[in-house]
Amino acid sequence: MRGRFGAITIILTCAAVVPIVDLALPESLRISEAVRGVFLYAILALGLNVVSGYAGLLNLGIAAFMAIGAYAFAILTCEIYPFQVGFWPGILLTLPIGALAGFVLGAPTLRLRGDYLAIVTLGFGEIVQDLLKNLDTVTKGTQGINPLPSPSFGGEAWTASDEYKWYYLLLAVLVIVVLFVRNLERSRLGRAWFSIRQDELASRSMGIRVERVKMLAFSTGAAIAALAGGLSASVLSSTGEPSNYDFQVSILALCIVIVGGIGGIAGVLVGALVMVGLNSIVLVKAAAALAALGIGGQGNVLLSPNNWKYLIFGLALVLAVRLKPDGLLPPRIERSMR
Amino acid sequence: MQPHEVFLQQLITGLSNGMIIALIALGYTMVYGIIELINFAHGDVFMLGAFLALTLLGVLGMEAWSPTWRIGGVAIMLVGSALFCGGLNWTLDRVAYRSLRRASKLSLLVSAIGCSFICTNLGLFWGGVPMEVFAGGVAAAAPKDFPQLIPQTNLLGASAIRITPADIAVVVVTVPLMIGLVFLVNRTRMGRAMRAVAQDATAAALMGIPVDRVIGITFFIGGALGGFASVVYALYNNTIGFQMGYRAGMDAFTAAVVGGIGSLPGAVLGGLTIGLVRAMSDQYLETQWTNTIVFGMLVMILIFRPSGLLGTTRREKV
Amino acid sequence: MSVLSAQGMTMRFGGLVAVQDVSLTVQEGEIFAVIGPNGAGKTTLFNAITGIYEPTSGVVQFSGREVRLGWTALTIARIALAFVLIGCTAVVAINVESLWTRVINANYVYLQPFPWGKAAGDFFRALAELPFSAGIATGCIGGCVGAATTLILWWRSRRTPDVIARSGVARTFQNIRLFNELSLVQNVLVGMDYRMKAGFWSALLRLPLFFSERERFHAEAEKLLEFVGLADRADSAAGSLPYGYRRRLEIARALAGKPKLILLDEPAAGMNPSEVVDLMALIRRVRDAGTTVVLIEHHMRLVMGVSDRILVLQYGKQIAEGTPAEIRANSACVEAYLGTESHG
Repeated sequence: MRGRFGAITIILTCAAVVPIVDLALPESLRISEAVRGVFLYAILALGLNVVSGYAGLLNLGIAAFMAIGAYAFAILTCEIYPFQVGFWPGILLTLPIGALAGFVLGAPTLRLRGDYLAIVTLGFGEIVQDLLKNLDTVTKGTQGINPLPSPSFGGEAWTASDEYKWYYLLLAVLVIVVLFVRNLERSRLGRAWFSIRQDELASRSMGIRVERVKMLAFSTGAAIAALAGGLSASVLSSTGEPSNYDFQVSILALCIVIVGGIGGIAGVLVGALVMVGLNSIVLVKAAAALAALGIGGQGNVLLSPNNWKYLIFGLALVLAVRLKPDGLLPPRIERSMR
Repeated sequence: MQPHEVFLQQLITGLSNGMIIALIALGYTMVYGIIELINFAHGDVFMLGAFLALTLLGVLGMEAWSPTWRIGGVAIMLVGSALFCGGLNWTLDRVAYRSLRRASKLSLLVSAIGCSFICTNLGLFWGGVPMEVFAGGVAAAAPKDFPQLIPQTNLLGASAIRITPADIAVVVVTVPLMIGLVFLVNRTRMGRAMRAVAQDATAAALMGIPVDRVIGITFFIGGALGGFASVVYALYNNTIGFQMGYRAGMDAFTAAVVGGIGSLPGAVLGGLTIGLVRAMSDQYLETQWTNTIVFGMLVMILIFRPSGLLGTTRREKV
Repeated sequence: MSVLSAQGMTMRFGGLVAVQDVSLTVQEGEIFAVIGPNGAGKTTLFNAITGIYEPTSGVVQFSGREVRLGWTALTIARIALAFVLIGCTAVVAINVESLWTRVINANYVYLQPFPWGKAAGDFFRALAELPFSAGIATGCIGGCVGAATTLILWWRSRRTPDVIARSGVARTFQNIRLFNELSLVQNVLVGMDYRMKAGFWSALLRLPLFFSERERFHAEAEKLLEFVGLADRADSAAGSLPYGYRRRLEIARALAGKPKLILLDEPAAGMNPSEVVDLMALIRRVRDAGTTVVLIEHHMRLVMGVSDRILVLQYGKQIAEGTPAEIRANSACVEAYLGTESHG
């Protein structure tokens, strides 16, 4: 295979053997549960990568689409609502719903200048949280919606103890998303995305219908983000409260894309591993270690690893842009696009 | 209260808040005007200014001062926060933005978002400083009370409409600053250099204008305005928190865009518009929908006037 | 028959009149040059013709047709659809909580089957009982906003560069605008994009159409690169090309859409004499292959050598038009341009 497909294959294969290695390790060192988070964020970041990496449209509200996916999945499947379509139809329906949400936001705003669009998406991210909080008749407000169904393959539904089944399900979805995104990247559409990212006016003068192409990127990204939202809600069996989908989530996704290498799939996978690994493996283990030593907690603000999150994300962004502007695994577009 | 009194009261509240928003918006619009960057960290610089003001207040023990001395205390906080925020903003430009002048706009914006997060985190740590004004620094993330240095008594006596010394303070601080800024940009050598760099940095450099220094000074002035705004905000609202920069920054940036980014009168007009819309929406619709209303307004204005109310369209050079 | 006709073109930026009442007609199969001193408004004229600027006044026709999206039934249907959809959405959105209570909560008993028919009936009954302000008024306001938005977005997109390019008018840029990160073939393929049929789904699912089209257009792109003499570098990034080759790649990209008319903005800028000779040959070959050429150029040897007719601009006004021989004989032109700025 050409291009970076090698790198993608290697990463995904390594991911597939993690649970096997994991079983051999003592409980405190097991990471497969945290790696599930990596998969979810990788899917989310792949969605963001279509919008911001390929088409160059900075979307600061990707978490809003994740929230839309999570709540759509919840309302369609939870037993407190009459719809109860089941896990698979629910998950599949998050895709068109997310795409529709992307269309609704994009239709009037995609003609705006780049940074104006960034602000509009940022605002959208806040508004969606407000809406989910305020429409509590429908969304149960800050309680979140639960319980949500898990997938079942003929037999009984999975429970929390089936963690390796979850692991492989998420991995499988990730692989499918990677394949689809790759198919789009290496097509006429992907080429149009790269071209408008580099020079919108020149592409327009070559007859590319910029609005339509941007809209496809925006909706595709939103659909993938919604899928990530639906999956994460199902894993947790709850949507959680609306503020679980706040600006921090959008920025974590952005960090993944920027640190990994904007515009490349392999980069996004590496970025997800690094950033989410830092966020939910290193920080969590550090907090546990500090707690075991009897320090940290409420007393001193500096001693709680959680309080360093913003600083870490911030530094990651500033340093990545400064030192490795193309990311850890930069895409080589002229090679991959054939 | 009579309906018209309610309306007038909201008008006063809206204008006061609008003035503060406008002051922050000026910082955004100046920086955007000169290097086309949404200085994402500006809101957080503003937030840190408020924390510095509260620290000064605590260190100097201003709460115990007599009312006349308190005016001096406010002046100290204004100057201190302005210098601090200006310096901080200048430092951000020096450290995080200057090396990216030739990079893509996206990288620059991402760097600014990173700075914003770093500043937010500094605010969180600052809230954990064990001082009395920070409630001993126990709950670092909790909002902090900002003492009422300027009394909230009603100057109109028994009237149903309230105009407080704090309202007056807002006007007394913001209006001269705005006038001074317009004078600076339109009438001085420095202002001319700023406008030249904004129009074409390369040409300005060839004409012997020290572009980086001019940009640095713009950042300083923008940050200083944010510093003034932070003290006024804290005195007016009496509560500050490490996450307020995000919210205030968002309002202020919306104001700058609504008015037409890059335009100083536009930023003021936008700030007042946002302040009024917020106040009216709080009163006549439900408070919880205010953000949604403001967002809807932003989208509508951008659809029908893509460069804002007072903005001019920039043509791409082909 | 005229391929391009621009009549009474005026382009004003604020107080500055960049182009004033310029008219030109280009016949099929011609090589037509626009010359004039720097700042005479040549590029502005090109931009107004290709839709990057909307001319302050003047009419541009390609092959006798004004390229501008007109009022079609589809446009009107789209605006009407926006009115209905956004109007209905607004009503449902404003009343979502009361509707939800009445339709879903009132009918659903935990884990009991849901009476869909009754719920649907309740939904329409609840809609009909809405007060005027929350129902019809909201719907009308929402609908009007939606329709106005659709109208204004459509209005702004009537004569954008993509509309013009798709009608068979290609161009190059004075300050070369290639896609530097894409390979040469990819650059050419971008120019072919609007001739392709395979869309989102064929790419996503790799349907047969995707593969057949990819084969066909790749082969064609390689042929075009051969035509401009860049075939051996087809897979390197455009950004790595030496300057002289970039102009040629831009011409290949412009030709990729099989245009009837190609506008070249200073194609010889920065080229050395032997490259200019090659370029002249290339321009003739483009014309011989059936594409009409309009070019802006300062390089007099090239202009006089290839052009059939020349238009001279000065300070935004046209001061002469004619064959190379006529222009050479025109004292006003020589004074304005040739006499002072001749490149030889």
